[in-house]
Amino acid sequence: MRSIALLVRKDGRLLRRSPALLAALIVYPIVIAVLVGLVVRFAGEQPRVALVDLDGIPPIVEIGGQEFDVDQIIGQTIEDIELVRLDANAAERALKSGDVLATITIPEGFVRALRGMLRSPQLRLDFNSDLFGTRILNKVQALVFSLNRQLAETYIAANLEYVDLLTVGGSGTFAGNPFDVIGLEEAGRRLRALGEANPDLQREFDELATFVDEAGLALAAVEGSLRATAHPIELVEAGTSGRDALLSALVQAFGLALTIAFISVLLAAGSLASERDENVLGRLLRGLVRPTELLVSKVILVALLAALVALILAIALGVLVEVNGAASEHPWERLPLLVLGFLVAGASFACFGTLVGTRTRDARTATLVALLIALPLMLVGLVPTESVGGVGIVSDLFPFSHSVDFFDAALANADPARAVLRSTAWLVGLGLVYGTAARLGMRRLLA
Amino acid sequence: MILARHERPYERRRTPPEHVTGSSGPLLEAQCVGRTFGARVALIDIDLHVRAGDSVALVGSNGAGKSTLLSLLAGALSPTSGRLVHGGPGLDIGWVPQRPAIYSRLSALENLEHFARLERVAGPAERARELLDIVEVSADPIPAGTLSGGNQQRLNLAIALLADSEVLLLDEPTASLDPRQRRRFWQLAHALPERGGAIVFATQHLAEVDEHASDVLLLEAGRSAFSGTVADWQLSAAIEGLK
Repeated sequence: MRSIALLVRKDGRLLRRSPALLAALIVYPIVIAVLVGLVVRFAGEQPRVALVDLDGIPPIVEIGGQEFDVDQIIGQTIEDIELVRLDANAAERALKSGDVLATITIPEGFVRALRGMLRSPQLRLDFNSDLFGTRILNKVQALVFSLNRQLAETYIAANLEYVDLLTVGGSGTFAGNPFDVIGLEEAGRRLRALGEANPDLQREFDELATFVDEAGLALAAVEGSLRATAHPIELVEAGTSGRDALLSALVQAFGLALTIAFISVLLAAGSLASERDENVLGRLLRGLVRPTELLVSKVILVALLAALVALILAIALGVLVEVNGAASEHPWERLPLLVLGFLVAGASFACFGTLVGTRTRDARTATLVALLIALPLMLVGLVPTESVGGVGIVSDLFPFSHSVDFFDAALANADPARAVLRSTAWLVGLGLVYGTAARLGMRRLLA
Repeated sequence: MILARHERPYERRRTPPEHVTGSSGPLLEAQCVGRTFGARVALIDIDLHVRAGDSVALVGSNGAGKSTLLSLLAGALSPTSGRLVHGGPGLDIGWVPQRPAIYSRLSALENLEHFARLERVAGPAERARELLDIVEVSADPIPAGTLSGGNQQRLNLAIALLADSEVLLLDEPTASLDPRQRRRFWQLAHALPERGGAIVFATQHLAEVDEHASDVLLLEAGRSAFSGTVADWQLSAAIEGLK
């Protein structure tokens, strides 16, 4: 323990003598964290989707006597998608090349079918079944839902006109065929007049007139029924004062995990390799310190430094949440739990870094290799595990996703104990595996 | 240093004080030691006996295995065959690697204090200052990496002297020293055999063998090509050709 303390003290002194390195190690991950936050916030903000209009839909479509501005409806519904009008061949090529993420095809006869109201016209959606394709599918489903809703309103209005015609009478058209109806009210009046003119049949005429009156009353209730069947469940949208996505618990967790990952992996790898750079490794390991003590000293220093930087970042983000005026549920009382997570995550990443350090011959190579290995592994941690097969397994073998889970649970879960314990177990387990591998690789450093 | 068939000249042997060895056996012994790095063979079947008072020169061309042998003797590497035997359980071996093994961003004093604490030397700060005086390196708080090559090498030596080792292993220690520094260095190095310890040094300067060694081990491609006293070395016709 004494040797470990001496080595930690020495490394701390060396770090203080390298202010540029220290500044880079602190500023770089924070910048990355902010950038990732922005990317997460705006990722896929304007995905391109091709619109193939085989029906030649005019800008304004009249259906049921109501005019529809097609572009406006589409724009309002999927405002975060850039809709590109292409012909069928170009759209197919663009989808294959990834230039567009999906293709919406409006088939011939679409508007005619809409106007006829005899069968449901179809929209065709082609998309790659990946993460973005799923996202586009959701968007287009939302578009179709919105169109159906607006069309339903139009159809209801059109049907109500027919109901009105049936009630009060008049002229109309159906499927392009004009017709005249006298209406139930007029029919009732005429029946009663006929009854008065024919006393022998007055009872029958009165019964018919009563039926016509009741039918009129029933038709008066049609409007509510039509609206209820068109929208069995209606979604009421209400804005809240929750956190901005940039400051959401998950994005904060990503930022904190990124910061710790960068600092820990790079510093641990570079620090261990620098012992070899300075040619002191042989001097140390020939009896002054044990290899395990050397590794532990690196892990302790790196975990402490990473936890310190992450704590500063967490406090800054917490203050931003408060200043942002978001619902004040930032769990300041969870800070000790977060700090524990920072230390555990920092140590786990540091173990990985020391493994990289044992496999490289000098500090520069070590930090470069650490960056090259850690960066994609961290990005894998950003990809939802259910979206791409195999990603979950790769992600599980690196401390990043478990760190995110820990921090997210600590920041947002009402009862974080279970998630925190599970993440901690992963982080400790991975740290032990990487640390053991690094210990086995120590002799290689002397070769 | 001695191989069984060689007798060392009496005049070159220094009598060790009893507390150093406690017996007449070697301080440090390599028995049929070999070392490979993957498929590359660095040393094959090397025998070496280092006794109190010895000053052993390891000579040979670049890549002959001198540094590897010193690293094995220092315990920084493990042999892949043969074995190393220490003369006593608490034998201290100082090691001066060819390239200074110092923290370049720490000052000379900080380097010495750090290693003194790791060596558990009593009064590390005082011992560090004492050694800086001995090797004549400034205690100014400047990074050791900014010292001249000669001063870095002397600091390297000072770190090896921290623990009052009985055996000092020196890997081309004078390579980066000017003549004055070289003389000063050898004064310091010879103090150990004179106290009853021993030094083993690798060198490419044959003049240093004549001036500072009692025994010689010539390595060629990892094998022992000659082992004996300096007198034998000087008489050897084969070595004459090399010289």
